[in-house]
Amino acid sequence: MSNTPGFTRHGDNSFIAKFSASERDVLINLSEQLIEILAERIDAVDSDPLAAMIGITGHDSPPDDDVLLRLLPNAYADPVDSAEFRRYTESVLRDKKRLHAMAIRSHLLNSPHGDESRVEVDQENAQAWLGAMNDIRLALGVRLKVEENSHEHLELLAPDDPMRGVYAVYSWLGWLQESLVLALMDDAQE
Amino acid sequence: MINTTTEIEDLVNPTFLVDRPWVTIVWDDPVNLMSYVTYVFITVFEYSKERANQLMLQVHNEGKAVVSSGRREEMERDVQRLHERGLWATLQRDDQ
Repeated sequence: MSNTPGFTRHGDNSFIAKFSASERDVLINLSEQLIEILAERIDAVDSDPLAAMIGITGHDSPPDDDVLLRLLPNAYADPVDSAEFRRYTESVLRDKKRLHAMAIRSHLLNSPHGDESRVEVDQENAQAWLGAMNDIRLALGVRLKVEENSHEHLELLAPDDPMRGVYAVYSWLGWLQESLVLALMDDAQE
Repeated sequence: MINTTTEIEDLVNPTFLVDRPWVTIVWDDPVNLMSYVTYVFITVFEYSKERANQLMLQVHNEGKAVVSSGRREEMERDVQRLHERGLWATLQRDDQ
């Protein structure tokens, strides 16, 4: 899907990636979908200003949707402990994930673009990119039913299988995320 | 003569004697990149690259690994930070 090297490090605090117009569109679209999926968990209870202020969410049961359950997982095997933890922490976790996705979207919308767009992030913004790319891959992974050895099967999807395109995006995002991790680790090692 | 030590030991629930710590466990996940999991262990726990890599391999090969231990509140915070980054983490009382 791409001939670019993904994210590359430039000095101490700059990471640059270039995207084709279609790659940019896909990333913006997926970020918006992620924001939307996470918003599904917001309900009326969250509008209680006092509860919202101290980060209490109305939810103490796990999400029914598999994607949401993977993004907002249980913290305990025990359902009672898990519900208690979720009530006090889920809204904070959800907000962080939405902020990451919003950051990606806004970087792409505000970066110079045409046939090719160029995104430059610092260490801090890079964390938002890593988080959001990972969340999008987790969501796509649930939809693709990715398991330990499913790559061989997914590589061989028929050209007219709608999941083929999804898998192509999933693989490309994994490659993009890896390039940013490696660029960041260059620093961690020294 | 009464053996005081034995009596007291009988009276006190063993869980009060040993302050068993809580542990954070990371579970294997087919989606998360190996390099990313290592990077998360380095940034969240400030582990060396070597230790982080070892833990990542343990998660990958054995299905799970204990990545931190301590008081329950601390482990809840660790789990939250790992969930923020998309790792599949839970906490529990150390059963070792």
